[in-house]
Amino acid sequence: MNKKKLRLLPLCLMLALLAGGCAGTQNAEVAEAPPAKEAAQKTEPLVYEGEIAGVSERAKTISITVGKGEQAKVMMVKFDDKTKGVNNAAKGRAVKIAYEMRDKDAFATDVQLKLAKLPPGTSEIKTPELQKLINDKAPIYLVDSRPLMRYNQSHLPDAHSIPVPLLEEKKGEVLPKNKDIPLVFYCGGPT
Amino acid sequence: MSTASAGLAKKLGYTNIRVYLDGEPAWSEANLPTYSTSDFIKNGNVVLIDIRPSKKAIAGRIKGAYSVPYESLEDKLDDVPRNAPIVLYGDKEVLDAVAAVRAEGFNFVSLVKGGYEGWVKSGGEIDKGPIFNTEIKWVRKLGKGEVSVADFRKATTGEDKDVVIVDARTKEEVAELGIFKNTINIPLDEIPARMNELPKDKKIYVHCSTGARADMAYNEMVKHGLNVKFLLLNIKDAECDCEIIRP
Repeated sequence: MNKKKLRLLPLCLMLALLAGGCAGTQNAEVAEAPPAKEAAQKTEPLVYEGEIAGVSERAKTISITVGKGEQAKVMMVKFDDKTKGVNNAAKGRAVKIAYEMRDKDAFATDVQLKLAKLPPGTSEIKTPELQKLINDKAPIYLVDSRPLMRYNQSHLPDAHSIPVPLLEEKKGEVLPKNKDIPLVFYCGGPT
Repeated sequence: MSTASAGLAKKLGYTNIRVYLDGEPAWSEANLPTYSTSDFIKNGNVVLIDIRPSKKAIAGRIKGAYSVPYESLEDKLDDVPRNAPIVLYGDKEVLDAVAAVRAEGFNFVSLVKGGYEGWVKSGGEIDKGPIFNTEIKWVRKLGKGEVSVADFRKATTGEDKDVVIVDARTKEEVAELGIFKNTINIPLDEIPARMNELPKDKKIYVHCSTGARADMAYNEMVKHGLNVKFLLLNIKDAECDCEIIRP
């Protein structure tokens, strides 16, 4: 039994690469096919990280967008009763999906939410406090980090639109000169 | 996104950085006001509603706005698709209106900054005089990869022969409910393995029951270089009206 698995492994990995076509994407980590004998111990787990593009209960299938911008690709994995964390798979959520190849199909083994982590030296603000600061017209600089389209449609009172790529490019030019002013960043939610 | 920006700001030397992790969805959920930009109000595919008494709307309203006084708002919105972006303006009552419209199931509800007066002050265009358009009409614009219902129908009738229609529902659903004419059934979960059954020199339209699976199938096929579009429609919708081969 074990031997058979070992022999099949390189084939499965190759199929993973072919079926997924994800060798070039940034976030998808696909293990290279190592020599068969070492494969069992050294294979990195197969993982997709990104935003859920769709979930079908009927087809028992999850689609996930991996990679950024031009390189973004939507990958499909199946799930079954053994898949952990299927409840975490809802459209728009950022998740990490561990999967394995069974024959030609990728099967999710575990779906985990990717919760945003606060960078060191920053702190979280909750709705009531932010509401008070805005109502009191406190001297804060509120930044909407989402793409401009989303800002145009609906943004918080007096928020400034600075999408992440713009901040990466222009750096301090698009932020206030006063480095001690309270900056508050928000986007489309915690995942 | 917000955490990435906060991290950058930290590196740039800002000393007081907060992150509102819950973000815009939590703000909306708490029924706090959000705003649309004037560009979005002018050029977006939006339903703009003046909820002030009609007298005021006749005296002057934002160009393109429907006049629906607050008390008749719920009635008038009955037939408007819930994914339509609604932009409201009015007097003090507008904040209550936001909550009411959100409670009606609309996902995108926002306000005009400063209301009518704010719009006028910022030099926005207005209309005056009697109001003729009282029925709210909103048609969703086709998104990326979507096929129009009209084009889809042409493929099912055989009028457009340059198309292969793929039904991404399960075999069980097809057996129970039937299938459109000129259509092959490849359940969503079988599509990756059966990609080679699909021609690269023809258009492919994929549908399912509501459009969710079709969207997923579309993304899978695009990756394989197929010329594909998907139907984002509940096929039970009367708008579809495509002939079905019953089981």
